[in-house]
Amino acid sequence: MPAAARTDRRRPAVAAVRRLPEFLTIWVPLLLSAGHLISFALWTIWVSFTPSTLVPVSGWVGLRNYTAMVATRNWQIAFDNLLVFGSGFVLLSVLMGLLLAILLDQRIRGENVFRSIFLYPLAVSFVVTGTVWSWLLNPGIGIQKLVNGLGWTSFRFDWLIDREMAIWTIVIAAIWQSSGFAMALFLAGLRSVDPDLIKAAQIDGAGPIRMYRRVILPTLWPITVTVVVIQLQFAITTFDLVRALTGGGPGTATQLPALVVYDFMFQRGLLARGAAAAVLMLLILLAVLLPYAAWRYLQRRQSAHA
Amino acid sequence: MNKITRRAMLASTTGLIAAPRLARAQAVKPRLTVISQWSAGSDGAAITALGKKFEEKGGTWQHSPVPGFTTEMMNKLRAQIMAGDPPACSQLKGPEIAAWSKIAATVNLDALVAAAGYEKVVAPDLARLHKPGGKWISLPLQIYSTNMLFLSKRAMDKAKADRIPVTWAEFNALAENMKAGGVTYPIANGGTRPDDGQKFEAALAGISPAAYRAAMMTLDEKALKGPEVKAAFAQARRIADWMDPNTAAQHYSVNLPRFVAGDMGMMIQGGWAQGVLLNAGFKLDDFIIAPGPCDNGKPVFLLNADAFIFWQRKEPDLQAGQTLMAQLVMDPAIQTMYSQITGSIPVRTDVDLSGAGWSDGQRRTAAALKEAVAANQAVLSLAHNMAQENGMTAAIIDVLTEYVKNKAMTPDQGVARLSNAVEGAR
Repeated sequence: MPAAARTDRRRPAVAAVRRLPEFLTIWVPLLLSAGHLISFALWTIWVSFTPSTLVPVSGWVGLRNYTAMVATRNWQIAFDNLLVFGSGFVLLSVLMGLLLAILLDQRIRGENVFRSIFLYPLAVSFVVTGTVWSWLLNPGIGIQKLVNGLGWTSFRFDWLIDREMAIWTIVIAAIWQSSGFAMALFLAGLRSVDPDLIKAAQIDGAGPIRMYRRVILPTLWPITVTVVVIQLQFAITTFDLVRALTGGGPGTATQLPALVVYDFMFQRGLLARGAAAAVLMLLILLAVLLPYAAWRYLQRRQSAHA
Repeated sequence: MNKITRRAMLASTTGLIAAPRLARAQAVKPRLTVISQWSAGSDGAAITALGKKFEEKGGTWQHSPVPGFTTEMMNKLRAQIMAGDPPACSQLKGPEIAAWSKIAATVNLDALVAAAGYEKVVAPDLARLHKPGGKWISLPLQIYSTNMLFLSKRAMDKAKADRIPVTWAEFNALAENMKAGGVTYPIANGGTRPDDGQKFEAALAGISPAAYRAAMMTLDEKALKGPEVKAAFAQARRIADWMDPNTAAQHYSVNLPRFVAGDMGMMIQGGWAQGVLLNAGFKLDDFIIAPGPCDNGKPVFLLNADAFIFWQRKEPDLQAGQTLMAQLVMDPAIQTMYSQITGSIPVRTDVDLSGAGWSDGQRRTAAALKEAVAANQAVLSLAHNMAQENGMTAAIIDVLTEYVKNKAMTPDQGVARLSNAVEGAR
């Protein structure tokens, strides 16, 4: 009896020591990264309320930097572009990824090869993507010249230098880069559909298209939301792709918030204004992530009650 | 017998230990930590040559170039200043010198400048930029003009022209002749922001140097809304229509082969383009260099000058290095060597440019500078961050680059946007 009592008392302590490596591996990096992220975010928020220009100085100017930033054409163009680019890119990359995943799901030969090919652009850096696409989309040396040379002399594909369409060139390059990621997630989702469901639908006489539409795709809903959220956060923070592809666009037509932040903070020596733009970017991100978090919370509560 | 006593041993050992320090104090080897944006091309070659001269004089040269535009170099400079470890010497130019001197301590160079008699041989507008607060804290090294006119010999032949245009009217006529003679694009241009800014500032300074001074250097409201600025926008629209729209955001150097071949006629670029052309393998007789057009007949010179600023350091070897560097920068032989490599002209007005190693373009530029200073038409370039600080310059160039790329924008709209941008950035 005394021996059992002794081991009882020791067990929690021994168990804790045995799990120490796990704790350290998880909690130390987590706390360090969280501390790093939060402390710098707080510092940026503080700078956005000071009159800092070349170097950070203390002081308080209220919301002056925010009103000044929102009033600049750069920010207004950037915000509009963000709406266009964000919705266009997310929608099209989800559709593209879904299409590729469905096509790859058909148990074709060499599926691994195709999957690698579609995933490969993810490994290329954004700067390389932007540079090469800037050559491809340039009317004088790229696709337009090629097609004109092949004989279709009235073919036009000069979006890169067109103020209205230049943002879509960035959508094209971004889709090329990250559809593979959407495809990989969707493929995993498609493969994890319950085979009994599919067999039942086949017995009921559903053709492939109806089977996809009515049976398989609805089960992909959670994965779709995940893909949308991840692609949205990527879209909101796009910087090097735009810098390499259009440099901010013909004139200032393809400005995006991340470029505005960098431009004001470092190239114009207006730290406080740039910090205000960065905080505005954070607010935009929160406007996307908070509803998602709320939706997940509600989902969990529903499934807990159900 | 002389016994070496313990006391003598102690005394001599102490003396031996002290001796090297005494020797070091008397002959400190100068060392210099430098940062600049000149990492490649003719600029990189020039600063490497300057470093070799520094080492020939017995110093240790530690140069860390930061490739990119000047702003990337300034980011590194800001980081080092905030960390308390500024480089002994860094590149800086224009009104940024005054702005940055407020955030970190600089070295007072008055004594060295007086000893070298440098102030007498520097243009007064330029000298004022480098002595904010009345004391010399930075030294200009080379001068470029940002509105030099480059003419392709083959394109001139196609247009059957033999006169270099002097006024904007003649320039426009020559461009029309070139177009009629088969030159696809009379103006060779890049798509970067300074390029677009250069077109406008060349137009405005050529139309009226006085209006340029009032509008761009002093930011006078009336001048910003005045007729000269509107006329400059109209001229910039004409120039934009003669440029290749497919250039997108590329650097102007991608169009150099077509320029030399005669497919593109003229360039309004800075004097550095000479170095770039020669580096790219083209010959001096493929093109002609002349001052940019100016409507009142006398040349207008848009100044762009690079300078070195010296940050206070406590280490004696860095201080000795700063003294040596300052003396080198003011030396006419060093300025000659530097400018011959980069294609600029020396800051010193007493350097003789008639020898070999100087091109006709450089001689013309130097003559233009002399005439412009005499006629009070030497003004500071806006597009190259000489006339205003970075924030104001960027706000103005936002308007200019949109105007150049957006054919639907009228000169009136350009004027309105420009004054709004200036007000917003004040």
